[in-house]
Amino acid sequence: MTESALPVIGANGVAIPEGTRGDAGFRTYEVFQRERVGQSTPKIKPAQLVSREFADNPYPLLAVLRENYPCYRDWLNNCFWITRYDDVTSILTDGANYETRSKAWRLGIEGFGRDLRTALPVLTAQANAWDASCRRLAESAIADFARRGEADLATEFAARLNMQLWLAMLDPPAESAPQVAALLWRLHRGVSWDPHARWLGAAAADELVAELAPLLEARRQAPGGDLISAVAGLELEGGPAQPQDLVATLLEMDFDTLHGALANLWLALLTNAEEFDKVRGDSRCVKLAVLEAFRHSTPMIAAQRFARHEVERFGRLIPKGGLLVCSVAAANRDPRVFANPDRFIAGRKDICHREARGQYRADGLATGITPGLGPPTKHPAVPEDRPRSLYALTRDAVITASGALLEAVDDMVLADEAKPPSAICRRLGEMHACWHLPVRFRPR
Amino acid sequence: MATGCPFALDIFAEPEDHAKDPGAQFDFPLMPEGQAYDMGHAPDGTPLFDPRILQSAEFFRNPYPYYRILRDHYPVYHDRLHNTYYVTRYEDITRCYFDDEGFNTIPKGSSSGVLGNTQLELSGVEHRRRRNLYGQHLVGQSLKNRIPAIQRQAREMIEAWDGISDPRVVSMADGVRTVELGMAFANEFPIRVVCEVLGFPKEAQNDFYYWYNSMMSGLGGSETHQQGLEARQHLEDYVEGIVEARRKQPTYLHDEVGNPISKDIISKLCETKVDGDYLSTEEITSNIALVVGGGGETTRGAILNMWHLLLRNPEQFEALRNDDSLWDAAFHETLRHSSSIGGQPRHNTYDVVMHGVRVPAGSLMEMVDFSANHDERVFKDPETFNIFRDDLYTGKILRSGYNKDGRRNHMAFGVGPHLCPGAWISHQEAVEGSRILLKYLKNPRINMERMPKDTDGMSLKPLGIVSVRELHLDYDLA
Repeated sequence: MTESALPVIGANGVAIPEGTRGDAGFRTYEVFQRERVGQSTPKIKPAQLVSREFADNPYPLLAVLRENYPCYRDWLNNCFWITRYDDVTSILTDGANYETRSKAWRLGIEGFGRDLRTALPVLTAQANAWDASCRRLAESAIADFARRGEADLATEFAARLNMQLWLAMLDPPAESAPQVAALLWRLHRGVSWDPHARWLGAAAADELVAELAPLLEARRQAPGGDLISAVAGLELEGGPAQPQDLVATLLEMDFDTLHGALANLWLALLTNAEEFDKVRGDSRCVKLAVLEAFRHSTPMIAAQRFARHEVERFGRLIPKGGLLVCSVAAANRDPRVFANPDRFIAGRKDICHREARGQYRADGLATGITPGLGPPTKHPAVPEDRPRSLYALTRDAVITASGALLEAVDDMVLADEAKPPSAICRRLGEMHACWHLPVRFRPR
Repeated sequence: MATGCPFALDIFAEPEDHAKDPGAQFDFPLMPEGQAYDMGHAPDGTPLFDPRILQSAEFFRNPYPYYRILRDHYPVYHDRLHNTYYVTRYEDITRCYFDDEGFNTIPKGSSSGVLGNTQLELSGVEHRRRRNLYGQHLVGQSLKNRIPAIQRQAREMIEAWDGISDPRVVSMADGVRTVELGMAFANEFPIRVVCEVLGFPKEAQNDFYYWYNSMMSGLGGSETHQQGLEARQHLEDYVEGIVEARRKQPTYLHDEVGNPISKDIISKLCETKVDGDYLSTEEITSNIALVVGGGGETTRGAILNMWHLLLRNPEQFEALRNDDSLWDAAFHETLRHSSSIGGQPRHNTYDVVMHGVRVPAGSLMEMVDFSANHDERVFKDPETFNIFRDDLYTGKILRSGYNKDGRRNHMAFGVGPHLCPGAWISHQEAVEGSRILLKYLKNPRINMERMPKDTDGMSLKPLGIVSVRELHLDYDLA
């Protein structure tokens, strides 16, 4: 045994294990016993936060938390709920204290491949593909249903456009596009607590590797402007990108916000006639409606962060490893920040009308938090060598697609106005979106 | 499918189970005891485990087949819905319990929301110092001194049955008396004993029983939490007066003829110093609350479960009637088969990898004692109640655990530094109380008519992971 491996005997005659030398290991009585007794929270039961009621409409329950227990210790689900705007943004922008765990970890395939999504060629490939094809793909989708005079905007427009943009970004051969699309869908749905979805997601990762490996190799030899070519051409420490790296990158990229935001925007417009009229009457209002939809009915209603170390915040001691569920839905409807927060108002005065910076603000005004799109940049402007942010790309795609739809049809109404659809989480933890939006209209 | 769309739109179809429930309260069907609901299989045949089952009514009445799935296929199961890792094999749990640096008890658990700050949240030296403060009064000669008091309390309670007029508790017909053993004995007996060994005045026992019940129902952040907090405050107000009095004038336990045996625990705690300082009233109250919580519900469950299991296995009960020494084995086998404490939470201090699962530091890891006690790697035929089993250690409870001669201790009291300090007194209460019960109960048998039934309306409701709530017994008076 080397000298350094000998146990150290403490003042109490007890051997002090290696790991406790320093700040790790046991903590003291005083540190952790700081509250005499626990908080009583009779206005909510933790089971409500994982209930069908919550999945269908989380906003009333989140309002209870936000107004009564802004840092709610949920013993059943072993987490802290953070629900006020300033609190949520302070966590989402604090990478030093709070860790974002990868989707691969949540899917149970940690270490599957390298996440390359922040590499400049990858960002550029996505931006180029989306900018080049968004209008065309939106018009193509609209053309497919316009003549019918009816459509399900959630599936035939929002979900389809999102998926087609992904395919445009990857540019697989036409014959394998359906399979790639199905696998991408399963892969991203697998980031869930649900064991069925997870197994399917993990299997989809393997199948995508098999599907995309020949493409990656081919584009290494003959690159194009697509994302697979961008990944193939990366010069990386540890050798060139492997198919697993490509799939790991696709997994970590945001998959839901465009789909959910587009569906939710149109749900909001179709259920708020006054705002819809505003948008129809002035095409510049489309952008304001999109910004408001990001706030009012963000599809990603929560973001998980884990404390990197013990942190004292919100009047509580949050232990290392503690899970903070940053409820974006609650924050985006915080009356401390937005007046009449439950109302959808295209062009509201208390939201910033340009891309936020830093603490989710611009011009002193707050923005709708969209956690899937990453935190706002701290730089005052986009560096010249980089493409627009994912936030800007997604926002512009929703604006472009919605503009195309407004131009193509007239008199759009809900197919059954007596039973308006609503946004829901299909599975707890999945995006909160309008999954079916049947409409009637008059083609132009 | 719309033309021009390169993929089938039905990939966006809703998940199959959404129509039933997208949330965590999925209504799992109730299965025959011992059979698991089929939660689906992976393509390689591995059974899937849906974490929603852990909060279901089905799981609470029929947990063991589900724990078997976890032990066999997911020995460290990451429940992503509840942000928890479940450890279910005996060997793994034992190792974690002994490593109280790597698997610590901090931070404060939901229980201390009502109980106050107790040693449950402490680790290492801090824990050992405080554990021994009152733990020493519940073992060895101190414990032996208290046995006559335990026996007297049991006799007094049973003899009071003659005066009970509530037919839900005690009734009689044709020379047969029916008692609901919970209300008539087991619910209150451990509390009375705790009251006595702590040194609470007799006149306070009813209040004490109310505070105990309120605190118990207030655990876990439930809607009765506020009631639990209020009861805890009342207890503290009461204890404060007692502590001040005992600091000046300690009181004693007495034997049957009135000779002082030893100081009661509160008097002992009043004169105890930690780090050169006397314990505060708050510390004493919290520890009393813990003694009450630990010594009440668990012993109640042990007594009821033991009688329930013995009377459902009449050949074992008969053997026990003929051999008084078998009570120890019956007690330990009851706690192995159906204890009323399911496990202990731990937080891993460092990143660990167990069975290929990386558990990031600071994660909540539930050590499932229920499952350890039914681990077929340690106990043969674990679902069978058998007081004669040769793989269970039934001797004196050891902090170090027991692993010799092919026998292992059960995990109902845990093992290692956090072994339940009330284990020994709980054992004495359950065994001595039951010995005395047996003297009074002639030809006891379960009154099947009054017992809660399972889903078929015929058979008895399974014990599940909560101890039997009511046990209706018939016995002959003549």
